[in-house]
Amino acid sequence: MFNYSFRWNQAFQSLPDMLAGALVTLEVAVLSMILGIFFAILLTAFRLSGNPVLKGITTVWVEVARNTPALFQIYMAFFGLAGLGILITGWTQPNLGFAVDLRLSPYIALLGGITFNNAGYLHENFRGALKAIPETQTRSARSLGMSAPQSFVYVVMPQMLRISFLPMTNQFVWAILMTSLGAVISMNSDLFGVTNNLVKINFRTFEMFAIAAVIFYVMTKVITLSARLIAARLFRY
Amino acid sequence: MKSKVLAFGVAAATAFAGPAMADKLDDIIASGTLRCAVVLDFPPMGSKDADNNPIGFDVDYCNDLAATLGVTAEIVETTFPERIPALMSGRVDVAVASTSDTLERAKTVGVSIPYYAFENAVVARPGLEMASWEDMKGKVVGATAGTYEAIWLEGQVKAWGEGEFRPFESQADVFLALSQGQLDATVGTMEVANANVASGNFGDIKVVDKAPMVPDYVALVTLREEYGLINYMNLFINQQVRTGRYAELYKKWVGEGVPANLTIPGVYR
Repeated sequence: MFNYSFRWNQAFQSLPDMLAGALVTLEVAVLSMILGIFFAILLTAFRLSGNPVLKGITTVWVEVARNTPALFQIYMAFFGLAGLGILITGWTQPNLGFAVDLRLSPYIALLGGITFNNAGYLHENFRGALKAIPETQTRSARSLGMSAPQSFVYVVMPQMLRISFLPMTNQFVWAILMTSLGAVISMNSDLFGVTNNLVKINFRTFEMFAIAAVIFYVMTKVITLSARLIAARLFRY
Repeated sequence: MKSKVLAFGVAAATAFAGPAMADKLDDIIASGTLRCAVVLDFPPMGSKDADNNPIGFDVDYCNDLAATLGVTAEIVETTFPERIPALMSGRVDVAVASTSDTLERAKTVGVSIPYYAFENAVVARPGLEMASWEDMKGKVVGATAGTYEAIWLEGQVKAWGEGEFRPFESQADVFLALSQGQLDATVGTMEVANANVASGNFGDIKVVDKAPMVPDYVALVTLREEYGLINYMNLFINQQVRTGRYAELYKKWVGEGVPANLTIPGVYR
């Protein structure tokens, strides 16, 4: 029943545009990982701090990030925040005389959404990694006269990052694939956005998406392989 | 023995060759069902009534086509981007889905003569004063990705060299973005724009101007090589206009007034 004749010429003409899109995808994924790792460490520190408010922030963040679809998180970053801004303005404008503008550009909303998701999952990676580090490490550090934050930053964290290095590449791959969700918030410069828009114009659905899939595959494969090489070099005992 | 095998072989060959000669038109008539891809978030062309039944201009058009073929119609709901994959993968026979007949698309699918034509309207967000369509210059504008008006608008933004174009996946998201100020203005089908302004669901948005573009002629679409079916659809559209059914459907779904002229002076077809 599959009544389709593949015509690749038209699709291959779009390859330069798609490769430019792949660069944007990579850029978003890399930035979202850097920010995600930063926030995940912050969340981990919050959780370990013992302060109930900070702990609560971590719990809410991780629960929402891990138990709702990434699509929902990205959609909310774009439409949800903008709507919230209008809602708040409805109160502040007459009462305080200023408006609140929470409108994010598609790029920032996508980056924010993926970062939010990354931080949630990476926090769990870090939690697992921390379990693998013996309690005695902290106690030894403290007995050497380090303060609690110092022992976390200088002794525990380096080991935590090392143990969770390979699981982190997993999240990196996921971040690359998540950029495709930008299409719902009008992102049209990333790999999926570029492909999606071209498909709607020339209707060569299967060829275009097949090429995009190959580009995605190559990108993620290169990342996992190079991560393994880096790990083998860095973490030699 | 040998001749028996040969006879069986010939019989088998003709049995398999037979159906292969039949084209889509024969297949539809033989199967007794015409499966149409229709977009149902695009009133008044396609939408759902309170009981979730498909209704609209395109739905009736599909029913009419099925009736002339002597088969029953089956409405298959698709989104705009899904129309062509649904056709290609054999899930539907034709798309009766307000598909603009661009030359780019005709390289991929078989396009009939136009069965409807849309005018496009420029709609501004709440609180933005615009005098004419040219005030879109330098603003953040957007439309439903891949539609005729989106292609025009993106080209316009490129020509102006300033402003930003944002394509959304559905018409609903475009108007949501417009009501939130994520977009300053959009270009959309006049019928849809008027319906959305009147609904009041999107705040104080307003129709500013007519977009200065060639009317958006839309066609029935099927596989590129199905000439039998394409010919049939062309004649069917002609008959719809000739018999007054086109005007009748226009009155039923769009309202009073004269339906868009489907002929273009000075050319054949």
